[in-house]
Amino acid sequence: MSIPYRQDMPPPGGFEAVKYKRNLPFRGPGALAILGGITAICTYGFYRLGKGNLEKRELHREKVWSRIHLVPLLMAEGDRDAYRRQQAALAREKEIMKDVKGWVPGSSVYNNPKYHTPEIVIL
Amino acid sequence: MSTFQKGTVPTQPYKEPTPLPDHVPKVEELGTTSAPLKSAAFFIGAYCKEYNEDFMLCKAENRDPGHCLKEGRRVTRCATDLINKMRENCLEQFDAHWNCLELNNQEYYRCRKPERTLNKCMFEKLGLTKVIPGTPAGQKPVHEIDSPIFKPIQK
Repeated sequence: MSIPYRQDMPPPGGFEAVKYKRNLPFRGPGALAILGGITAICTYGFYRLGKGNLEKRELHREKVWSRIHLVPLLMAEGDRDAYRRQQAALAREKEIMKDVKGWVPGSSVYNNPKYHTPEIVIL
Repeated sequence: MSTFQKGTVPTQPYKEPTPLPDHVPKVEELGTTSAPLKSAAFFIGAYCKEYNEDFMLCKAENRDPGHCLKEGRRVTRCATDLINKMRENCLEQFDAHWNCLELNNQEYYRCRKPERTLNKCMFEKLGLTKVIPGTPAGQKPVHEIDSPIFKPIQK
């Protein structure tokens, strides 16, 4: 049994190239890009924050003025009620103290004509 | 020493039943709740400016509740007049705005859309504008900014 002579040869088309280069996958943007990006995002955020603070101030001003415009109205209503109760209390005091000589109903304990809110409130 | 006490505690607070003395002219109270008042606040401020300022100057003179009853009646009458006028002319927009305020914690910034229609109607029908005093010069007033930073999260 004899085998015919055959020279061993490279595969047709040749050998593939030797993989000697390092095969590292792409690791994302570089450090400077990340730093720049975050700086940009933060700058925009602080800009919005500043804008928002200015707007919040204006919103607060709006709220305060809406209340200021209503103060006279509410105070007038409250005053009428306070006056009514004050007069009722005075009448009551007059009735109770009618037998006491020299009693001045509704007189202040202070020697001062200036109005002060009553310390004792009967609703 | 023991005093007589009722066996029950009243659930309602005691209210003085005595009416206002006869020599004080009667005026009907406004009776409007907080949301419509907040909705109408700037128009009340614009429409009743003189009466309001008169009343506050009077109060600055003397804090006695009996001192400014006359000015107070004028303030209430003016506000009642304005609310009636608003209801006659811009009822739909007014209702929309104060209902929105009622549902949004009474924050103006969450109700800009109904507010703008109300402001427009009030200007066209009654000639009243909403002006916020103290807005920095050359800056758009906060209720007219087109794309504000603070806005309702849920559209």
